[in-house]
Amino acid sequence: MTVFLTLFRQFIWRALVREKLRSVITVLGISLGVGVAVAIRLANVGALESFRAATDSVAGETSIQITGSAGRFDEMVLADLGWLRSYGQVSPVITGFAKADLSNIDSDSGEAAVADSHGPYLQVLGVDVLRDRLLRRYRLLRVNDNGAEPGIRYLLMLLADPQSIVLTEQFARRHQISIGSRIFLLIGESRRAFVVRGLLMDEGPARALQGNFALLDIAAAQLSFNRVGLLDRIDVKLKSGSDIGEVEREIREKLPDRLRVLRPETGYDQVEKMIAAFQFNLSALGSIALLVGLFLIYNTVSISVITRREEVGSLRAVGTTQVIILGLFLGEALLLTAVGTVVGLGLGRILAGAAVQITATTVETFFIASAATEAVVRHSVGVDEVTLAFAIALPLSIVASAVPALEAARVSPIEAMRGAERLARSFKPSIKHLLLSSTLFVGAYRFSSLDPTNGLPIFGYVAALMLMFGGAFLVPNVLWLACVVNSRWLARLFFTAVIEAKLASANLRASIPRVSISVAALSVALSMMVAVSVMIGSFRDTVSYWVGETMVADIYAKPITRAATTDEGELSDEAIKVAQNDPQIEAVYPFTTQQIIYADEPVTVGAGDFATFLKHGRLLFKAPSDARDQIRDAIGHDFVTVNESFSLRFKKYVGDMIELPTAFGSHEFKIVAIYYDYSSSRGWVVMHQGTYAKHFPYSRPTSMSIYLQPGADAEVVSERLSRAVDKDAQILFATNVDLRREVMRIFDSTFAITYALELIAIVIAALGVISTLITLILERRGEIAVLGFLGATHRQLRRMVVMEALLIGGVSQAIGIAIGLMLSLVLIYVINVQSFGWTIQFHLPLGFLVQSTLIMIGVTAVAGLYPAARAAKTDVVRFARAE
Amino acid sequence: MPILVVDNVDKTYDGAGRAVNALRGVTFNAEAGDFIALTGPSGCGKSTLLHILGGIDRPTRGRVLLDGVELVSLSEEDLARLRRKKIGFVFQFFNLLPTLTVAENVELPLMLDGISNSSASKRTTEMLERVGLGGRAAHYPAELSGGEMQRAAVARAVVTRPDLILADEPTGNLDSENGTQVMKLLAELNREMRITVILATHSNEAAQYAVRLLHMRDGVIEEIA
Repeated sequence: MTVFLTLFRQFIWRALVREKLRSVITVLGISLGVGVAVAIRLANVGALESFRAATDSVAGETSIQITGSAGRFDEMVLADLGWLRSYGQVSPVITGFAKADLSNIDSDSGEAAVADSHGPYLQVLGVDVLRDRLLRRYRLLRVNDNGAEPGIRYLLMLLADPQSIVLTEQFARRHQISIGSRIFLLIGESRRAFVVRGLLMDEGPARALQGNFALLDIAAAQLSFNRVGLLDRIDVKLKSGSDIGEVEREIREKLPDRLRVLRPETGYDQVEKMIAAFQFNLSALGSIALLVGLFLIYNTVSISVITRREEVGSLRAVGTTQVIILGLFLGEALLLTAVGTVVGLGLGRILAGAAVQITATTVETFFIASAATEAVVRHSVGVDEVTLAFAIALPLSIVASAVPALEAARVSPIEAMRGAERLARSFKPSIKHLLLSSTLFVGAYRFSSLDPTNGLPIFGYVAALMLMFGGAFLVPNVLWLACVVNSRWLARLFFTAVIEAKLASANLRASIPRVSISVAALSVALSMMVAVSVMIGSFRDTVSYWVGETMVADIYAKPITRAATTDEGELSDEAIKVAQNDPQIEAVYPFTTQQIIYADEPVTVGAGDFATFLKHGRLLFKAPSDARDQIRDAIGHDFVTVNESFSLRFKKYVGDMIELPTAFGSHEFKIVAIYYDYSSSRGWVVMHQGTYAKHFPYSRPTSMSIYLQPGADAEVVSERLSRAVDKDAQILFATNVDLRREVMRIFDSTFAITYALELIAIVIAALGVISTLITLILERRGEIAVLGFLGATHRQLRRMVVMEALLIGGVSQAIGIAIGLMLSLVLIYVINVQSFGWTIQFHLPLGFLVQSTLIMIGVTAVAGLYPAARAAKTDVVRFARAE
Repeated sequence: MPILVVDNVDKTYDGAGRAVNALRGVTFNAEAGDFIALTGPSGCGKSTLLHILGGIDRPTRGRVLLDGVELVSLSEEDLARLRRKKIGFVFQFFNLLPTLTVAENVELPLMLDGISNSSASKRTTEMLERVGLGGRAAHYPAELSGGEMQRAAVARAVVTRPDLILADEPTGNLDSENGTQVMKLLAELNREMRITVILATHSNEAAQYAVRLLHMRDGVIEEIA
């Protein structure tokens, strides 16, 4: 061991220190790869963990929950559930989200102050405090200046006034709110005033959502959330010693059909399932950076072996065993990876903040309402992340460096006596590589046709990996061909640099075995960039077309607090009437939505007047292609249309029956049409409003589409409606143009992170190219010196190296585009469909491909400048003396 | 006027923390078509002198004029251009570029000088025929014997019809038969093309092909014969 460590220090460590630049580049590449992977993990875990923490905190000591099968339920049901008390403590709950209007704290509510709708979401709990105190811990900070800790009776008194609210100490401190302050909350379409009567200590539910929690008396909550006579759920804390599973079974058997029992963590499990595909895709994309980083390890060790063959031969000649040689080079890989991983962990923590910010909009829009509030990484780099990073990176680095390390172990002592490999082996095109590539491409095709696993497109990603490796194996032959073509034909295009181009081709051709890996790494990174860009471009075109075809209303209105992931806010009859009575409005299409659980996943049930829709609205139907007759038939029947996500996720098609939980128990509906929908990855079921009212009586319209008379100005009418509704009504009126813009904005922000990830992968690969070129120049310094002897000027030497870089860039881009286009097909037709249930129309972005080619050629030329400068500075005199 | 004038050239460089006087007051001239052998023990300064004559290195003191042009006054770029046109090098270890074919190696100085493809190709073919490698033009150096490689190197050195050839131990890596072959070639080209040849060598057999001998010791020309 001592011998090994001594040799390691003398042979490996000193070389790494001597070749600082190359070592730094390799470490940087690994650290970027690890950093990205860690950042994605922290962002993913952070989003869910904060949601879990909130769910757990708010749940308190709740063992099970009773909810309506179709959402809210009549509170009179409580009277029939007296038997629940035999199992433990029972507490009815109203829960919802409200936006805090922080700009109007303590302002005079008599004035129509402009509401600030950008405040944080507050999770509001409405409970009967007397009953609830055994399920959740409420400790008030203080309620007066006496300093005595108030008891539950005091809390009860506090909340007796329907305008009373209890906030958290954390929230109050953050926003400079004190006891007695008046605060406005935007709840649905209403803006309601409350007076802060107490502050909860930072524990229990108060700790949820970074203190963004509020407590109301249940009656006040019912009034504020427009749920008078309704409940959201009943929380039950079982007696100690109860078997939860057993009790759950018993209760389930006793409950009427319209109610169901579940555990508090079910909500978290459902969201986790929904967000899984998004997070999986993000992790997969982030892994590309790590993969490219590992290419760098292979490259570095490979070059280290090649340039030091003579030294290795000398070591063998003096008696070093093959095992030690193998260990030395594996050790080099491990050392570089370990250092890169440590740096990467720190980098990951920094990048995680950016990752969370970039993905916050997407997570909030599609999965967790309060995510944007939590746009801070709650989860630090802990033991889990450190262990995972090392557990993945170190073994992979051994795999990456195994081949060159074994090659080093096989170097015979005679290499030392013969001298360095001055006579280069020229590369010959290999049928073996072509066969390997073909096999991988065929394999990719087969894997891409397999079904998802638990909703995750695992085989799709396997197919993608096979395509990437297939492309990598093409590199040597394509490089050879490019060198030949350049030398024989393209060089003539360079006019004054013909010899530099020929020399570049000759050098590269001889270096193909060494250069291939870094070219492959750059090709892989580029192919992912092309694939993702083509996919996003196609997606954007599809969404843009869809928006153009289906968003035909002139104005859209919804309560200001309504988001895709909250169940909050309904439009009042007054607001709808105001629209219907406007002389410039031809038709109003109120739409109602309700979130239910279908096959253990949240889906949305929606309803509108199909007659109005048939006259004014539009949907793009997948099956049948024109479903207007089916929509007409659905009026008065239990027929529904579903979106593509629903159909693909649950494998339900036109003609199938689905059983949905309704307010009165399960009921069967028939699917008569499937439509394209890019507004959500959730499943949607849409029915005529009459059918809906029959089965879901407790919901009211949550949005409306407004169709104007010909010639009416949408901005003007929008403005008029805003003024005409109740002054405290918080309704967002958006014109068609504004809404389309918002849809595209959300779309663009959703994919912002993918661009960032791909850019990082390209940077890593470019570092590999620089590292390789520098090494090749060092290895060829004798030849470069000879060129100096023969009269090559510094400029000619620089041009030669830059042209080598350009050839590398050109080949990488060519393979990148070819493989990238194939990958885009996998992304579009396999991964996206299996993850989100979206059909995307393929669109070839020629302009982008041309632009990216030019940029890549520019980038590689720039990457070649430093190695070129080093080549030009080759000390001819020193070489001459050494000769 | 002599084609080469070396006037009181000194060369001092730092070696392991102390100054090393590699050349001291070296002075000699060479006419066009001269064949001069530099002899002397290892470390006497033969190679250093060749490097200075070739514009690869610069003297600490003194002057070197090649065809009337003072080398010290030239920039690096100008020296490079000068070497292309007026100086050919032949090395002990041949130093052919392994990534180029024999023909490509030979035509390299012409290509560096911007000579057109067709013209360069013609001259290259002629030169390869002259050195007996006409049939090996498309081969790579790895496929040649030592003697063949050195003959290719000689062809490369003379393809531009330079004023001066600097040969540093050209037979040092060859067996006696190949060494003789290469020296004969150099002598023939010296006579036919009136190229001045300065040969640094340990080999007495090689030195015999020269017309003049300059014997060096410790950086000084001891004897001229």
